[in-house]
Amino acid sequence: MKRAAAFAVIVAAGLGCLAWGAGADKAALAKKQEGLNAEYGLAKDANFYFVFDVLGRKIELRVRGMVLRTWPLRSMRFWGQPDFSGTVELAKKTALKAPERIVIKPGESEVSAPAPAAKPTATGAATTAADYDLEALELKDMPKRFQLGFDNGLNVTIKAKDAGSGGLGGMLRDAWRWYIDVPLRNLFGSREGKGLAELEIVFEDEKDAQSIYWHFFDGIKGIII
Amino acid sequence: MTIKRLLIAGAALAYLGFLAVLGASYFIGFKQASTWPRTGQEQAIADKDLPKVEKNVLLLQRKMAGLLPRGLYIVIDTAENRLYLKEGDKVVRTAVVSCGSGVVLEEPGGKKRSWVFDTPRGEFSVKSKITNPYWVKPDWAFIEEGEAIPKGMEDRIEGGTLGDYALGFGQGYFIHGTLYTRLLGRNVTHGCVRVGDEDLKYVFKAVSIGSKIYIY
Repeated sequence: MKRAAAFAVIVAAGLGCLAWGAGADKAALAKKQEGLNAEYGLAKDANFYFVFDVLGRKIELRVRGMVLRTWPLRSMRFWGQPDFSGTVELAKKTALKAPERIVIKPGESEVSAPAPAAKPTATGAATTAADYDLEALELKDMPKRFQLGFDNGLNVTIKAKDAGSGGLGGMLRDAWRWYIDVPLRNLFGSREGKGLAELEIVFEDEKDAQSIYWHFFDGIKGIII
Repeated sequence: MTIKRLLIAGAALAYLGFLAVLGASYFIGFKQASTWPRTGQEQAIADKDLPKVEKNVLLLQRKMAGLLPRGLYIVIDTAENRLYLKEGDKVVRTAVVSCGSGVVLEEPGGKKRSWVFDTPRGEFSVKSKITNPYWVKPDWAFIEEGEAIPKGMEDRIEGGTLGDYALGFGQGYFIHGTLYTRLLGRNVTHGCVRVGDEDLKYVFKAVSIGSKIYIY
């Protein structure tokens, strides 16, 4: 009798697992269909788009379904309404010190020498390309900390792990912002029906943060999954 | 004394009030966070719809695969100044290149034209393959040097500066060679993509007219 009961329990548990597995498969299939639909909508045009995989902790730049560049995230934290997944568009890119283009006006001001005549900043025989101080907008000129505002209200702060935040003062300002200001804005925003969605992403390598600034132009579309 | 006590009590009340509000905001925040990231909440599929969904997924996958470039194609990263010759997911060759400087040139005087020296980003294709190319200097090349813009075409032609090969991808932009190989890896050009001799030769011979170029 006991054996029969144990057998029945095992069979029931097995069936339960199968049912749960089938449900999970269906959910995965539904998610796959949703993701493919969203991506095909973007990939059928020749424009670049990004895929931000929250659970996979990575951001990818893609075109035609092809991954051009992947940025792994070091860490991230979030405050606010979690309903920000789906297709989004970058509405605003803000940085405290946004890079500015160098304007050359021949004959009106002192102009840097054109590229071929660029001078090395370091002296000595073993100068490399990186030693040349050029009048150009390069990756190293991009900010290591900036914000991306998306059309669905999601605000993403991107920063490099070692991006200087201004010493103790900057650290206190950051702590105030994240632990006091954002939660309070979230509370009062929720009461007024204006949900806040604030995401902060940290990259290990500062060049990753800078290249996000470089490649994410205003109006770029993407999918958050 | 009483005023002092009242002030202390007021400050303590304000502080406690602030803590209460902050506590409430954390309560709301944690409640929201408990549902993030949302997983397994996708629209449920009814059993009868399952074959239809599976078919749709296959169809979408096929459609996505159809968007991929066929044969060899070029990918250029303007931030890192790298060119990748690829076939499918495989990188066939990597080259250090020079892309646009991002500088703005403004014409002095009456016309006030301006040029932005960016390498264009997007999807392009190889439109022309030229051996021993010569450069037809545009107006900005003379303006930048503070020289008068010549009237005759023959005064605009300059040989040797573009290397041995050039791949045109439209609107006057080329992937070409360079005399200034020490600046490869930096953003120094007026929008074209400069490549070292050996890499250029390899890429030139590998791609054909119509091959896709992706510049990001």
